[in-house]
Amino acid sequence: MKATLRFLRALIATNLKASIALRGAFWARVVFMMANNLIFFVMWWVFFERFEEVRGWRLPDMAALFGICAGAFGLAVVFGGGVRDLSRLIVNGDLDSFLTQPKSPLLHSVASRSEASGWGDFVTAGVLLGLSGYLTPLGVPAALLAMVCGALVFLAWGVMVHSLAFWAGDTSSISRQMWEFLIAFSCYPKTIFVGWLKVVLFTLLPAGFISFLPVELVRDFHVGGALAVVGGAVLYTGLAVLVFRAGLRRYESGNRFGVRA
Amino acid sequence: MSGSIEVENLSKVFKVRVRAAGLGAAMRQLFSAPTRDAVAVDGLSFTIEKGERVAFVGPNGAGKSTTLKMLTGILHPTGGDARVLGHVPWRDRTRLAYRIGTVFGQRTQLWYHLPAADTFALLARIYDQDRAVHQRRLSALVDAFGVGPLLDKPVRQLSLGERMRCELVASLLHGPEVLFLDEPTIGLDVTAKAVIRDLIRDTSLQDGSTVLLTSHDTGDMERVCDRVLVIHRGRLLLDEPIAALRKNYIRRKVVTLLTAEEHVTVDLPGVTLVEKAPHRTVLEVDVDLTPIEQVVQAALQASRLRDLTVEDPPMEEIVQAIYASAEAQP
Amino acid sequence: MRYVAVASVAARQTLSARGAIVARAAFYVVVLLIFSRLWGAMSGFISAAEFLWYLALTEWTTLAMPHFYVGIEEDVRRGDIAYRLARPVSYFWAKFAEGMGEVLVRLVVLAPVGLVAAWGFAGGLPADPRGLLLAVPLALLAAAVLVLIQIAIGLSAFWFQDASPSHWIVQKLLFVFGGLFIPLDIYPEWMQTIAHCTPFAPLVYGVGRSAFGFDPAAAAQTALLIVAWGVVLLGLVGWLYRRSLEVLNVNGG
Repeated sequence: MKATLRFLRALIATNLKASIALRGAFWARVVFMMANNLIFFVMWWVFFERFEEVRGWRLPDMAALFGICAGAFGLAVVFGGGVRDLSRLIVNGDLDSFLTQPKSPLLHSVASRSEASGWGDFVTAGVLLGLSGYLTPLGVPAALLAMVCGALVFLAWGVMVHSLAFWAGDTSSISRQMWEFLIAFSCYPKTIFVGWLKVVLFTLLPAGFISFLPVELVRDFHVGGALAVVGGAVLYTGLAVLVFRAGLRRYESGNRFGVRA
Repeated sequence: MSGSIEVENLSKVFKVRVRAAGLGAAMRQLFSAPTRDAVAVDGLSFTIEKGERVAFVGPNGAGKSTTLKMLTGILHPTGGDARVLGHVPWRDRTRLAYRIGTVFGQRTQLWYHLPAADTFALLARIYDQDRAVHQRRLSALVDAFGVGPLLDKPVRQLSLGERMRCELVASLLHGPEVLFLDEPTIGLDVTAKAVIRDLIRDTSLQDGSTVLLTSHDTGDMERVCDRVLVIHRGRLLLDEPIAALRKNYIRRKVVTLLTAEEHVTVDLPGVTLVEKAPHRTVLEVDVDLTPIEQVVQAALQASRLRDLTVEDPPMEEIVQAIYASAEAQP
Repeated sequence: MRYVAVASVAARQTLSARGAIVARAAFYVVVLLIFSRLWGAMSGFISAAEFLWYLALTEWTTLAMPHFYVGIEEDVRRGDIAYRLARPVSYFWAKFAEGMGEVLVRLVVLAPVGLVAAWGFAGGLPADPRGLLLAVPLALLAAAVLVLIQIAIGLSAFWFQDASPSHWIVQKLLFVFGGLFIPLDIYPEWMQTIAHCTPFAPLVYGVGRSAFGFDPAAAAQTALLIVAWGVVLLGLVGWLYRRSLEVLNVNGG
């Protein structure tokens, strides 16, 4: 266990170092993402200027929600950027190099890439949470907890949808689209989702555990909520590990699509 | 349990989807996909002792890479047994990983935008290597492979030959007892190939490590290895020391004569003219028909010899001959 | 006639990329689903159904825009555009035909998807469904202009090395000033004024507002605006061509 943690720390350090190796590209991506998020939020501003509230949900609430979502997403792609290309890695047989080394191929492949734009998301999160007015100095650790848990759920979802490649060949466009769906559902006022859709968003497509629940840790902290958030993150992470392991067994039996003898 | 690598009756059969032709068949395929069996490896058996350097030679699709994948634990076989350093690779993959090194010619372990030194440092953590041991091993390898000046340059700025040397250092850092190499000199120019081959051989001689190398390039085989396993369609065709391969499979020698005269003719059974240039004659001699001494004597009698070379034909030819004879048999 | 051939090749290529088509259709449905809930929650203030049909139309139009500036950017970078630009008219028409081929496939494939999804989520057609019919020619005109925009973006690679920031900016402008998600009527006055001065308003909002009612006059006005902006863009593209030729002649390609 200790060896794995030391490995993880070294891997993250190397990953981040590689990420900033190309200085210009790094800053371009950060700035680009911040601008992207700003524009999206301008639309929310327009919406709430006109309508004031959506079933009790107002602009400050939206800022907090969007902030948590952006923060979670940013953390996920900065530290686990390898998730977004996992299906292609599987299809091209690139898992092989990770398999010949004595460390978890899941951890290794996911944490071998860093998406620099995630820092832009993370800064956006700070800005929006600050503007929302919900963030108290005491609330900062709660916000971070919320984002870390959200990031884990993002990564777990990414691992699961990309693991489809173990069984169905080149699923990269569908896997990517499903990854985008989680982001989409997580960034809208949670009050609009009721009924069967709400159930789905707390089970099959866990947007509820990315932002709907976690944002409450900032808005109105209570321990029960925190436990639910942490529990959700642990549950989905565990599920992702199981799915990946099952896929890996299939990979090792060598009967996947397009296998080259 | 004596050998480093022991393989017994190893087999791998892939189930390949039969592609449908036409819309109707494609629609039916949505529900049940017919598969056929593709035999990649068929009852392979061999043993490699500690410290041996063995080449796995065969044409594309012969089953070399598949065998390598099974021996490194990446792939599960369909049948048979194998042990590497006493471990069953596909069951003990993680524990075996600490003791083996791999170099895949087409892939890299090195982080592209970072200097190789950063990858080496990370590898210390991957293999749980003690810091002092890592430092010692690193400086020894850096010296042996001459990559000192390359350490701080981003890998993307290195030439292919330089990258390959760093790749080898990376694979040897943790002191593996067995080194698996898959096409290690692919894409390299002649000089770089020679350098890499010598480095692999010297390291193995020094460390006492076992080397299993797959290649298309018979030069790899000749310069690095002492023994060759020829694979064809998943089956072991030949398992011989390289010297024996030459002796047993080629009954021809290439004789190059440099003469004072413009031309010289040697007219003996089994002697064919391969190349003719002013003062230079190249002959191919079937030694079953005419022993070399006779050819040399005839040349001496017919001319004033300036220089004489007697060589084996290129290994390429030997191996091609072996495949050809295998193809001829059903 | 060979431009028709170029268009049909592009069309067939687009059709064969099945994963991408499914992904795009799925995205379309999901966006409509989410907004059906958003507008549904606001139904005290607006006609949620019409707002959803608005989105169905604006997304239909913008999803039809292929990212085919990439091909042009590659031509520019490879340098063989120099030969092709020597006959700028045929290169341009070939590219335009290619773009239209892809656009038409996207429009045709996405139309039933949008129709069924919007109908299902909105619980029916808009109050005056004839408006939807007006949207069809408008969407076609808009898509043609979007292809022109893509060509302009691709050509900008002559000066900017990387055309993708330009593409991203255009996408955001379409999003904000075209009123992709939220109809321009909802915007603050000053933003509406700005939006209507850009080509993006008629391209996106102009098509979408057909969902609000059957208004042939408004549709004609939109069509005229789109065509006018199209002409402006043609001028821009022509100007870009001439400048690129100059650049080529100076640098030697």
